[in-house]
Amino acid sequence: MKTKMLACLALLIACGFGLFVFADSHEEEEMDKLVFSEAYKTVAVKDGGKISGVVKFEGEVPEKKKLEITKDQAVCGVTDKFDESLVVGEGNVLKNTIVYLMDISQGKDFDKEAKLEIDQKECRFDPRVQIVPVGKVLTMLNSDKATHNVHIFGTKKNNTSVNKQQTKNRKKMRLSREGVAKNAEGPVEVKCDIHGWMRAWIAYVPHPYFAVTNEKGEFTLEDVPPGDYKLGYWHEACGTNNKEPVKVTVAAGGEVKQDFMLKLKEAK
Amino acid sequence: MRSRNIVLAALILGLLSVFNLTFAQDAPEVSEKGKEVYEESCAHCHGIEGRGDGSAAENLLPQPRDFTRGLYKIRSTESGQLPTDQDLFDIITEGMPGSSMPGWETSLGTNDRWEVVAYIKTFYEGFKEQETPPRQISLEGKIPYSEESVEIGKILYTQFACFECHGNLGRGDGTSAPTLEDEWGFKSWPANLTQSWNYRGGNDIDDIYKRFIGGIAGSAMPMFEDPAFGLTIEESKRYNELDSKAEMTETEEEEYNQLDEKMGNAYEILDLMADGDATEEQKQIYDTAMKEFNVKSWHLANYVKSLSPEKRPEAAIGKNVLRSQYTINELPEMADAAWETLESSYFPLVGQIIVEPRQFNPTIDSVNVKSFYNDTEVAFLFTWDDRTHNTEVEEDEDTGTTFEDAIAIQFPVKVPKGPTAPKPYFLWGGKLPVYLWQWKASAADKITELTAKGINNAEVQEVQGNIEAKGEYTDGQYRLWVKRALKTDDKKDLQLEPAVFVPIAFSAWDGANGDVGTKRVISSWYSFVLEPVPSSRRFIYPPLVALLSFGLLVGLREFVRQRNT
Amino acid sequence: MKRISLFTICFVIFIACWVFLRFVVGGVISVPIPGSVISMYMGLVLIAILVHVSVEDSRFKEFIRPIHETLVDENRRVRRIILAVLIPLLLLGYTYTNIAQKANPPGDPRDAHPSPPLELTYKDEVIGSMQDVENPHRHYEKDDPEKFKSHVENGRRVYYQNCFYCHGDHLDGKGHFADALNPLPANFQDPGIIPNFQESFFFWRISKGGPGLPASGTPWNSAMPIWEDHLTKEEIWDVILFLSDYTGYPYRTFGEGH
Repeated sequence: MKTKMLACLALLIACGFGLFVFADSHEEEEMDKLVFSEAYKTVAVKDGGKISGVVKFEGEVPEKKKLEITKDQAVCGVTDKFDESLVVGEGNVLKNTIVYLMDISQGKDFDKEAKLEIDQKECRFDPRVQIVPVGKVLTMLNSDKATHNVHIFGTKKNNTSVNKQQTKNRKKMRLSREGVAKNAEGPVEVKCDIHGWMRAWIAYVPHPYFAVTNEKGEFTLEDVPPGDYKLGYWHEACGTNNKEPVKVTVAAGGEVKQDFMLKLKEAK
Repeated sequence: MRSRNIVLAALILGLLSVFNLTFAQDAPEVSEKGKEVYEESCAHCHGIEGRGDGSAAENLLPQPRDFTRGLYKIRSTESGQLPTDQDLFDIITEGMPGSSMPGWETSLGTNDRWEVVAYIKTFYEGFKEQETPPRQISLEGKIPYSEESVEIGKILYTQFACFECHGNLGRGDGTSAPTLEDEWGFKSWPANLTQSWNYRGGNDIDDIYKRFIGGIAGSAMPMFEDPAFGLTIEESKRYNELDSKAEMTETEEEEYNQLDEKMGNAYEILDLMADGDATEEQKQIYDTAMKEFNVKSWHLANYVKSLSPEKRPEAAIGKNVLRSQYTINELPEMADAAWETLESSYFPLVGQIIVEPRQFNPTIDSVNVKSFYNDTEVAFLFTWDDRTHNTEVEEDEDTGTTFEDAIAIQFPVKVPKGPTAPKPYFLWGGKLPVYLWQWKASAADKITELTAKGINNAEVQEVQGNIEAKGEYTDGQYRLWVKRALKTDDKKDLQLEPAVFVPIAFSAWDGANGDVGTKRVISSWYSFVLEPVPSSRRFIYPPLVALLSFGLLVGLREFVRQRNT
Repeated sequence: MKRISLFTICFVIFIACWVFLRFVVGGVISVPIPGSVISMYMGLVLIAILVHVSVEDSRFKEFIRPIHETLVDENRRVRRIILAVLIPLLLLGYTYTNIAQKANPPGDPRDAHPSPPLELTYKDEVIGSMQDVENPHRHYEKDDPEKFKSHVENGRRVYYQNCFYCHGDHLDGKGHFADALNPLPANFQDPGIIPNFQESFFFWRISKGGPGLPASGTPWNSAMPIWEDHLTKEEIWDVILFLSDYTGYPYRTFGEGH
């Protein structure tokens, strides 16, 4: 009897170990993603606080890599293009970092005026990182006299891949039918297959407390209901702080300053 | 009475089977059986968990499908939609030509295939969350295949920007081709539209049409968009004409602006429709434009259909012999129209997987050859498709190192006498040596003669004979013209004479696919012959036989008559 | 109603026999029969007909009557002229096409079941005599089914990483590289393959590949790699287990009674 129990126990442990190993292989993928709380409720926010700061790059700034423009020189090759996976400004400030609240469960509504657009101009996406509320429609602009294809990658969370041609004649294309995300997640990759160097990222988000750093590395989250929060970041080349989010406390009407220093992700 | 019953039963059965064919089926409930069949027949490529990471996956390109993302290339449904159960069943049944996915029609029973459909759907949650059936692509308004339709389609091929990836003549050599990847980051080459036997989703016009409208999910092939929505074919042709003009007159400019506005308006309505905000009037404009778009797409499908032979050319060994045709004249140069009078012999090529490093995922399908000879010389014209023109070794961080394109034509040094006489080993010889003509893209007008006794044991001949060669690359195709004397003084060369069957084989390298050294595509031994000049006996013996037989008949009659009297 | 002449009956039977051989037996039922075989059968049919008509004098007379008539009868003039033109013309066409026909390359006669060497080797290591060597993992089938299963699974991995390109997903010799090969890859689903050979024979064929064939097996044509260059001994034995496990065919064995 005892031996049987022991065997059962051993089996259980083995199973547990197996699960752990299994989970671990998936975790790696998830480490590069944004983390959200389960549900979000829109309420009126009174006396909201503000979180702001500057994201800087730590370490030696790699030399800017010039992109090889292999086609449509008349449109794409007008100015030199550089790899924008890491844009570091003067004073080592870092552009295109998403800074957000990981665990907020209620707060303000989305800004209805905000433009949800990505332009394709001189064969680069602008902006490179775009925040899109779940269920909202993204509009793709084409300022080029060139044909592009908007290819937004699919995910396991039932946000199917979108791959639509946008010819040179179509200045504006709303991705209403195919491109509306069903689930919050991200960021997902966007590319143009015709011009293989074009890259952008879209984050489908469940609440409005997301900001993308500007050229000066600055971000601001406004109207945050007073409370304790975990502050997360995501950067294409520098990864996330999912393992050790920063804890901040927002007082009514108060302002919290929080800067970040990011390092390059370790190569796998 | 009874016979009538039988007829009735047969009718019902017949009807049922027709229904079976025409109406899409749904997969059964998930069962243990489906899992069992999947794990026995599919998991070695697609992985136990459906992630496309089975033990065989590593060496395969296209990679086995990862079922966890719900992205299926070949669907009868619109872009962004999941496939129908019937779509999945059809792919399992028919396989995906040009990839390592075989058809399972003969090796798995119908029920087993349906069970597998049910099982692979469990790998992606989206199938469960699906509330309405996926929107299917309507095949309404199909335009029958005709020369006129193909002509219109040809213009649309450019307007729809197909050439960006598929190239000007459809050989998959567009300027975007080298950088294409799928969503998993694996290299993916645009289809060579002139080889319809490699179309993954079949080469019916309907199949082609569905690929435009639905796109190929997960790959670079987008859902199509009318480049001149709201304009008729004539109008869009005019629009492009004006658009490409350096300078327009005032009236032209006005015309252009009108068309531009019409188009812009239609696009706006397209967006409104998607949001469900269009007025009745706008809906009508939309409907007309949509109809026109469908018409355009069918023309385009007909054009793509016209680019390729229906079937892969006859490739059976022993049947496709390279027969060099005799001519009394000078042998034709590369550009000579005389080549058009010959039918080419098709030789399929496959990856070399015998000696390391090996090529598991070849990109060169075949080589086509024509040949003429006269009393002193022989000329060949080799053509083969290659999506990229690589003349040197290039290192690229993103796309990897590419090498130089090349081809080698292989003969034995000594022609084996009789069918049982040994030949050299088909892979560049062994104990018996082979005689090779090697051509490289960097030296387009030069053939190097080699002698080889093994794939890693080739030597450049000390004495290089006088072989004329001319190579060129245009629109995804290499053409190589070679001329040599039938007889040479070099003992290491092959000596040719009419009516003698000579073994011939090929090796080719697509540098962009990583081909270099032993990593290449190869063929088995085929046969080449200087087709003897048709014998003049054919004008002598047959009339002789005819006369003789006539004489015999007359003689017989005389004999019988004489006996009678 | 006029009676059908014996000659016509014989003629019709002769033609019917030819149609039967050429299109029914050699089309509907099986693959086309070679022309030479058909000629042989037709010769037999002709002899049979001649024997039949010549056993009785009266029958023979009846048989040749139409021929006789055609040759000399004044009423048969039209038929005579037509035949006098038609027969020489047909012969003319026949000889012409025969002379003008293109020659075909010599075939590749090949011993499909070449005889193996006496000794089984892996690289240079002698394993034993071809007759006696058994698969060292075979005994697990009875002794340790779990372990046996793991060997079969390893064989499956080896197969799909190396063999299925030519021998096919379903082991039926229809892999996606198969089309371009001569000889065609072996079809393990063919009941004449696995049950006819010992496991040691398979080990020999796998480890030495095409180049290891004797001359009668046309070693210069086979694309079968020399797998001992790529696989370990264990992997080869495991893939041999897998082939029989997947297809359900047992290898040939020489039991005690032999």
